[in-house]
Amino acid sequence: MAKGNKMLCPDCGVEMNQHALKIDYAAEDVDGFDPDLGGVPEEVHSCPRCGKTHARRGPLKPELA
Amino acid sequence: MNTERPIFIPVLLGTTRQGRASERVAGFVAAELGKREGVETELIDIRNLPLPADDEGEAIKDAQFSATVARADAIVIVTPEYNHGYPGMLKHALDTNLKEYVHKAVGVCGVSAGGFGGTRVIQNLLPVLRELGLVTIFWDGNFSGAHKLFDAEGRLLDQAYVRRTDQFLKELIWMAKVLRYGRENITLE
Repeated sequence: MAKGNKMLCPDCGVEMNQHALKIDYAAEDVDGFDPDLGGVPEEVHSCPRCGKTHARRGPLKPELA
Repeated sequence: MNTERPIFIPVLLGTTRQGRASERVAGFVAAELGKREGVETELIDIRNLPLPADDEGEAIKDAQFSATVARADAIVIVTPEYNHGYPGMLKHALDTNLKEYVHKAVGVCGVSAGGFGGTRVIQNLLPVLRELGLVTIFWDGNFSGAHKLFDAEGRLLDQAYVRRTDQFLKELIWMAKVLRYGRENITLE
């Protein structure tokens, strides 16, 4: 995750914590496919206030972005 | 860590088969969870999830099921052992989520008619749970002789299961609290 690009909780509006990068190996999203990682990376964030988990597309290799 | 928010641990009943013995086990585990202060639970019966059979994975997400998993701190899966494996419908339901599971604790209760308490289905399910991003614990629930565990009114006949389940849940709740702290406070990078 790029510094300064924090995800805000869609429910609470507070800054979330990214605690994982999960690779979706089954996704058929050609644009999001990272050949180094073998799938589509997704950042997983949790809200310290409500505890809910949200995800967004992870960063691609710079040359693919 | 927000300690005032209850730890939320839904119990997933992992079979749709008629006459399933796992239903009473799931009810028992949910009731034991519900007795604990600071723990909230609900029983999710995969029979009630409106999942089509002509597609799979996140494409057929049920919004309510996904929201429940996203809110959960841990999950208990109650699964029978069918031919040494897990029910196909359980896998079908589990596969509809992915990021909702990440860094959350999972405990598995195996249910079998024989004497091994679903140990083989638990072992077969572990790699699936790992890939989903769940964190397994080293206690399991092993419910042997499933059709003789409860009387006709649904009362548990062998009280040893209360103590075993207590230890299983203590370990699960500990892991749920640790992982909640990690999810909300410890950054990946």
